[in-house]
Amino acid sequence: MAVKDLWVFSEKTSLQAELLAGARTLAEATGGGVAAIVVGDETSAKAALAQGADKVFWLGEKADKLVEDFVPTIAGLVQSHKPCALLIGASKRGKAVAGRLGAALDTTVITDVKKFFVEGDVIQASHLIFGGGAVRVEKSATETMIATFGLGIFEPLAADPSRQGEIIQVPFIEPKTRWTLRERKPKPPSTVNLAAAKKVVCPGRGLQKKEDLDMIFELAGLLEAEVGATRPLCEGLDWLPRERYIGVSGAFIKPDLYLGIGVSGQAQHTVGITESRVVVAINKDEEAPLFAQADYGIVGDLYAIVPELIKALKARK
Amino acid sequence: MEEKFDVIIVGAGLAGSAAAYKLAKEGLEVVLVERGPYPGSKNLSGGVLYGRVLEKLIPEYWKEAPVERYITNQIISFMSENASFNIDFRSQVFNEQPYNAFSVLRGKFDRWLGEQAEQAGAMLVPGIKVDRVIVENGRAVGIAAGDEEMGADVIILADGANSFLAQQLGLRGRFNPAHLAVGVKELIGLPRETIEERFRLSGNEGVAYGLVGFATRGVAGGGFLYTNQESISIGLVMHLDELIETGLRPAEVIEDFLAHPSIAPLIRGGKLLEYGAHLVPEGGLAMMPRLYMDGLLVVGDAAGLSVNNGFVVRGMDLAIGSGIAAAEAVLEAKKKNDFSVQTLGVYQRLMAESFVLKDMQTYAGAPDFMKNERLYKVYPEFLASLMTAIYQHEGVPKQHLLPMVMQSLKNSHLSLLALAQDGLKGVRSL
Amino acid sequence: MNIIVCYKFVPDPEDIIAKPDGSISFEQAEWVISEYDLMAIETAVQLVEAHGGKVMALSVGGSQLSNSKGKKDVLSRGPDELYLVIDDALSESDTHLTAQTLAAAIRKMGEFDLVICGEGSADLYFQQVGLQLGELLGLPTINAVSKVEVADGKLIVDRSLEDEVEVLETVLPAVISVTTDINQPRLPTMKEILKAGKKPITEWKLSDLELAGKAEKRIEVLNVRSPKQVDRKRIKITAKPDEAVQTLIGYLSKEGVL
Ligand SMILES: Cc1cc2nc3c(=O)[nH]c(=O)nc-3n(C[C@H](O)[C@H](O)[C@H](O)COP(=O)(O)OP(=O)(O)OC[C@H]3O[C@@H](n4cnc5c(N)ncnc54)[C@H](O)[C@@H]3O)c2cc1C
Ligand SMILES: Cc1cc2nc3c(=O)[nH]c(=O)nc-3n(C[C@H](O)[C@H](O)[C@H](O)COP(=O)(O)OP(=O)(O)OC[C@H]3O[C@@H](n4cnc5c(N)ncnc54)[C@H](O)[C@@H]3O)c2cc1C
Ligand SMILES: Nc1ncnc2c1ncn2[C@@H]1O[C@H](COP(=O)(O)O)[C@@H](O)[C@H]1O
Repeated sequence: MAVKDLWVFSEKTSLQAELLAGARTLAEATGGGVAAIVVGDETSAKAALAQGADKVFWLGEKADKLVEDFVPTIAGLVQSHKPCALLIGASKRGKAVAGRLGAALDTTVITDVKKFFVEGDVIQASHLIFGGGAVRVEKSATETMIATFGLGIFEPLAADPSRQGEIIQVPFIEPKTRWTLRERKPKPPSTVNLAAAKKVVCPGRGLQKKEDLDMIFELAGLLEAEVGATRPLCEGLDWLPRERYIGVSGAFIKPDLYLGIGVSGQAQHTVGITESRVVVAINKDEEAPLFAQADYGIVGDLYAIVPELIKALKARK
Repeated sequence: MEEKFDVIIVGAGLAGSAAAYKLAKEGLEVVLVERGPYPGSKNLSGGVLYGRVLEKLIPEYWKEAPVERYITNQIISFMSENASFNIDFRSQVFNEQPYNAFSVLRGKFDRWLGEQAEQAGAMLVPGIKVDRVIVENGRAVGIAAGDEEMGADVIILADGANSFLAQQLGLRGRFNPAHLAVGVKELIGLPRETIEERFRLSGNEGVAYGLVGFATRGVAGGGFLYTNQESISIGLVMHLDELIETGLRPAEVIEDFLAHPSIAPLIRGGKLLEYGAHLVPEGGLAMMPRLYMDGLLVVGDAAGLSVNNGFVVRGMDLAIGSGIAAAEAVLEAKKKNDFSVQTLGVYQRLMAESFVLKDMQTYAGAPDFMKNERLYKVYPEFLASLMTAIYQHEGVPKQHLLPMVMQSLKNSHLSLLALAQDGLKGVRSL
Repeated sequence: MNIIVCYKFVPDPEDIIAKPDGSISFEQAEWVISEYDLMAIETAVQLVEAHGGKVMALSVGGSQLSNSKGKKDVLSRGPDELYLVIDDALSESDTHLTAQTLAAAIRKMGEFDLVICGEGSADLYFQQVGLQLGELLGLPTINAVSKVEVADGKLIVDRSLEDEVEVLETVLPAVISVTTDINQPRLPTMKEILKAGKKPITEWKLSDLELAGKAEKRIEVLNVRSPKQVDRKRIKITAKPDEAVQTLIGYLSKEGVL
């Protein structure tokens, strides 16, 4: 490896902290340094140093621009410094930046990396394909590997404000194409943190109507559990916010108890629950695949079982 | 109706695709509507195709079609709870072209026949469930699916055993459990070499078992086991009314069947690839609907065309045969440009002349004979007990056969008179 | 307006078999239109229904794309024309090669106003091709589009991010990737299925396109394995609801999770 530096970019500070921690670990193996690309004020540039960067490429404040407008600027930087890897936070924005960068640099991107490691002197990344049906390990065929990472892949380091490092100001390169921002509509802040939940009750499409969620939330309350869901309930039916769905394109959870109610158990969903300690399934179809991946299963109509369960849990209190 | 075709066929099973193939070949504008994503996607059967009739439609079909093995070995097995008595029939005749029978997997085979129909020019419309036949002045003029309608000179109903379309039209009565059986089937994957070794087969030879007795826990019907190239089709066909009466669940019965000491070793180490259940018309001639009306014909299982005598389940060849006959009737009608019962009635005659109705008549007594309890409960026990007596060497001098038979008869509570009666009935109806 | 919609043809993820040795096989799999691209197709069809013009569907891949059922399937969902680039070199393409090929095909296809991609392909789900394609074509490109409007040569979209919705505007032509909840794709009707058989299809090979020297992958696959299976107890309770619930509660308190 000619150049051993690892670079990090994420517009989300918490994700940036995790990526910097990951880059640090890997830099020990490559023997290179860690740099962060920061869009924002000077404080945020300094914050990146505290989070573990040796060097910050400071692109300046966003002002009326979109983060995506910085793509040519970042591409220029990568072209002149050629780091061995660029780690990007896997938000929607991050994926947009990564994709356009990949094309601009005549390479591509490995998205949603689950494991990141060096073997020999090659950086390898594994991620899920076929909706969680397979794990694929890949390496980049170009000098700089561009990869995106979601939350929870690396443990962030404790911020150390005493860390010193270089902050390099980088002039903005005007992009060829632009989108004008007409309006921002904030979404109600989400308070769910499924990844940290100790117990998760997860309804699926077996639920017939939105109102039936009341019964699920009542059950979750009695169990002191968070409510997760399968994807169709959050996208398509829109009964619950997107943050609540579990699986390959949603959250990966590791609770003590996962209770799937009317969930069939497709791989795309169940890859997200493999680290649960105890898995319970309630389904009226005894052939439902989730039973084969559960510790305990009740074969029956959820509309008969859930009320019984609520009654029984109330009686225990 | 904006759009009108020569023929619309509902259901791309073997009956529907055979009819579509023949009609398209003759240059008619044929639409073949199938509710599954492709022909065969929802179909299920044990999988021995008696192929002589298909040979008439597509000569040397086995060279192209996805057939599994040609059946060289037929075994009839009487099962008691822990033993079985087999009659094993192998004949060189079965090794010769045109082969008598093949094992097939419907998912592949129906798809292939559907493709042949498409290549012949039929327009396949998959993923559409026909809700209704449109009738005007007592004449079928089209079909409706969702809020769409489509017209044709003739409609052919090939929508299978639970043809609710034929029922809607009053061509057949309400479902009568006495006229229906439930088929359950598993497909079990095994390596090719294992199958050939276990069943003593070489090359593409195959075996077909018909099993009665404990196979169905005494419920009228039978079990089957057919070898495919790299899998085994195994399952049961059980009369619906008796199932309801006994309260047995097909899933449980098949579990016991698969665990039976004479079955388990045959499928050991196999991997369950598919499981399915399906209705089989079982009433024989008694449940046959009227086969036609003005502008419409009924074929295959929808017309109640299947034969089940416990040892052999047949329907695929009858489906193809009736599809061909229907196509011939339509061609006749097209020539005269008359699609009334007068011309379409040719179908009934063609069927009567062909093996289809002949076989149905030959087996007309089968449904009743099949309901004979003794066939499932008593005979297998009797045979097992007899065989045990013959082959068990306990250090005592062997008895002559007759006393052993008598003892076995006594053990199985079977009267000689009943035995004689069943024998007579069986010979007449099978 | 002329809209190009890109869809991928993939082995049905439900038909993928994990073999005992940990490898995976999709030999038995049915090939289908990637599920999320159905929403992209529907978006294109709705826009053309509202503004006139035509929809051209485009896919690049290996020999599976020649499957006539697949061609009919996509055309029965509303596009007016189909363009395919079929080449063995594309059968295990990465997003780089795919985007390069799509860009070359689009240049050859002629005039267009908008290119629409799905959120991600059902097999790889990189969520990349649309963005890379946009950049390669030098056009404004954006992902996560959950609403589209066209007015006076302008494109206005809602972009659904994690914590906010952005309303963005640009001039056409542009390339967008749409979310799975942008619409509910319609089911093909009998008439559309029958019409599909008669619509024009253009097939190219890689050598028919001008992407000389660039037709390579940028990712090297080192291995593919089925994920580790966790051993579970698989205790199935079949009883009347109240009894079943009591049994379950018994187990769960023993596990210490109540
Ligand atoms: C690329 C890709 C990525 C995906 N990512 C994800 C992901 O991250 N997360 C995710 O969840 N999905 C994901 N999916 C979708 C996934 O494939 C499945 O479609 C989804 O998980 C199924 O959800 P479900 O189990 O709720 O619904 P279904 O599969 O429809 O199952 C409903 C179940 O409820 C049972 N049921 C019905 N009524 C009752 C009743 N009254 N009582 C008891 N049981 C009942 C049924 O027997 C059935 O088993 C993805 C798909 C693709 C192609
Ligand atoms: C377990 C079992 C074992 C069997 N074993 C054998 C055997 O070994 N040998 C043998 O010869 N026979 C066997 N049979 C019988 C045989 O399967 C049937 O007789 C045969 O399939 C009849 O063919 P068909 O074309 O009439 O109907 P089907 O094969 O049932 O086809 C009907 C088609 O119509 C479609 N359809 C139904 N309704 C609609 C609608 N409303 N709109 C559009 N499409 C519709 C269906 O999806 C299907 O594709 C067995 C049957 C069973 C259940
Ligand atoms: N081989 C392909 N042919 C045409 N379009 C494709 C192909 N692969 C991906 N796409 C499009 O790009 C989107 C994103 O794919 P991916 O980056 O693989 O997740 C898909 O939803 C399709 O719209």
